[in-house]
Amino acid sequence: MTFNKAQTDAIKELLFKMADDQLIIGHRNSEWTGLGPMLEEDIAFSSIAQDKIGQSLALFNILHELGEAMPDAAAFTRNADKFKCCQLVEYPIGEYDFSLMRNFLFNQAEYVRFEAMADSSFEPLAKIAKKFKGEIKYHTMHANLWIKQLGKANTESHSRMQIAFDDTFNLALGIFEPGANEDLLIKSKVYPGEKALEEKWIETIMPVLDNAMIKAPARFEWKPVYGGRKGVHTEHLQPMIEEMGAVFRLDPGAEW
Amino acid sequence: MYGSALIETKKGSKSLTEGEDPILLAEFEDRITRGEKIEPMDWMPTQYRKQLIRMIEQHAHSEIIGALPEGTWITRAPGFRRKLALMAKVQDEVGHAQLLYSAAETLGKTREDMVNDLINGKSKYSNVFNYPAKTWADTAIIAWLIDAGAIINQVTNAKGSYGPYCRALDRICSEESFHLKYGHDNVVYLATGTPKQREMVQEALNRWWTPIMHFFGPPDKISEHTEVLMKWKVKMASNDDMRQKFLDEYVPKIWDLGLTIPDKKLKKNNKSGKWEYTEPDWEEFKRVINGDGPCNKERLQVRRWAEEHGAWVRRALMKDEQKYTIPLA
Amino acid sequence: MAKSEDPRVSRMELPKNDDGKEVLESQENWETYEVFHQKKRGEQHVHVGIVHAANPEMALILAKETFGRRRATANIWVAKSANVYATDYADADMFETTPEKTYREASDYYCMDRIRKYQKEHGIEDRKDLKRKQKESAKEKKD
Repeated sequence: MTFNKAQTDAIKELLFKMADDQLIIGHRNSEWTGLGPMLEEDIAFSSIAQDKIGQSLALFNILHELGEAMPDAAAFTRNADKFKCCQLVEYPIGEYDFSLMRNFLFNQAEYVRFEAMADSSFEPLAKIAKKFKGEIKYHTMHANLWIKQLGKANTESHSRMQIAFDDTFNLALGIFEPGANEDLLIKSKVYPGEKALEEKWIETIMPVLDNAMIKAPARFEWKPVYGGRKGVHTEHLQPMIEEMGAVFRLDPGAEW
Repeated sequence: MYGSALIETKKGSKSLTEGEDPILLAEFEDRITRGEKIEPMDWMPTQYRKQLIRMIEQHAHSEIIGALPEGTWITRAPGFRRKLALMAKVQDEVGHAQLLYSAAETLGKTREDMVNDLINGKSKYSNVFNYPAKTWADTAIIAWLIDAGAIINQVTNAKGSYGPYCRALDRICSEESFHLKYGHDNVVYLATGTPKQREMVQEALNRWWTPIMHFFGPPDKISEHTEVLMKWKVKMASNDDMRQKFLDEYVPKIWDLGLTIPDKKLKKNNKSGKWEYTEPDWEEFKRVINGDGPCNKERLQVRRWAEEHGAWVRRALMKDEQKYTIPLA
Repeated sequence: MAKSEDPRVSRMELPKNDDGKEVLESQENWETYEVFHQKKRGEQHVHVGIVHAANPEMALILAKETFGRRRATANIWVAKSANVYATDYADADMFETTPEKTYREASDYYCMDRIRKYQKEHGIEDRKDLKRKQKESAKEKKD
């Protein structure tokens, strides 16, 4: 299927937000490498971070094919206000409870998103959605394990997971901030749109949270944190971007 | 990464075989001489067990501490390829620590005891990681030349006598080949890159040369202990021999890139086939390994931070009916 | 917070670590599970090492990355170390005469000599000789 300029621009907008989400959460998760609570879990968590960055690279490659900058330039030279990630992924790693819960909410959203995109009319997206299905499945299996087990283990772990959920749920709703040109994408069957994904996501996470005895707010109490998709970010993103690009920007034109 | 350099025996201490049943000892030593491996549940001299635990444990600690200087640059790695590769490499160091602690566990010391001994300073680890990774180029030098040293050490020790350690080393060696290639690739890009990059890598090499020369440990003092440990295939080669191997393989490769090494005396004596060099400062080595290096304190503080911050996760999932079992292999 | 070369460390509140306290309690690292790895469907699962885990579900999730992240993997098994039973190396002598029992090996069976002797005594043409002769005469005719 061929796309006109308006559709292509809308696709790029979608790809940028996905690529930025993956890159930023992958980067944040990589901060745990060598510092995790258990060697074996450290290893697993780092693999998940690498997978996300790999997925981000794949998305930036598609963007490059659509005329955007090469992945390294696209990812390592923009300033924070040009990023389209949701605010959830920008926050510092906090304690392991925060990072696990953030991952759980994000990974489940990712799973639902990639599942829907396996049927995308935009072929490159359908292709990578199918390719990464297995990886993302592992990410959700890993996340579900920790949420369920720590949610039910003891008073301290339960309380930590509940607080982590309270701190991240509204931010996670920000993943599904409606896109400016979404209708165009829905009509051209690129993907079913944020609302549909959010519904599917709620259906997926609620049984796990229930099992973990974590209380979620009722719909009317939701306070989604939007802005990220429009380049409005927290104070955490700019310093993070600067750190990420510190060596890359040292010597313009250098190959690393 | 680096085992036998740190085997210590106190002066005037008892012989390593004192008090052992001579028949069992002879059978044990015959097995080793025949090239067979010792497995966890075999009879073994007390000192064999003790020295091996110390050596494997120190090697494990070196890996997990080694994850820190390179980990310094994970968040700043330039570009996707380097970012992914550095994450994978540091992850492998954690993985190697896992394999090595597991091998030591087969000898009866618990992982908890080993971690506690690391954090409170009772156990040592490779000295080279007590130095800071000041620039991106430092990670390239470490990944190439320190890993090169580690590989020489590991390949040598993989022919040792203790089954679980040999198996862990085989696994580690196969993963290290990526590390070496990645490190070399990194150094090449910097050395053949812009003037700024070239200057960065030359400067890093200058700073790391002494720790690299220290890497295999001081020249061995031949003692009865060293001889027994070699008979038991716990110590497989002399520190100087391994250092020579390293110099022989890697100095030419460094010079291939037009980089200089901060030792005017360094050259190969074509008659003897041995490399001549300025003897590194072994007093500095002693000072640093005993706690007085630039990063010793921070390294252990970070390990303590990690263990303390993860305690709630571990303790939440402990069960009363848990039972301690020594791993099989 | 103190400045470190590592920005992650600079963001940490580092503990003093000067009290000699034991940070880990006994058995805080849970139990060990032996891990068995299958490279490809159809092949055997091979023992590759252990993982520390709180339960079998966790052991499988962790084993995937500890042992599967750098090698082709089709399947993984885990079993608690406590549940794996082993023979004693001290009893390895019970395996000693096994290689001598060649009557259980194909290579122990050779009777070509008997066949040839019988064929010679009873005028039975050896098939290989016949084939060789036919080949040679065909070659002669060609030349």
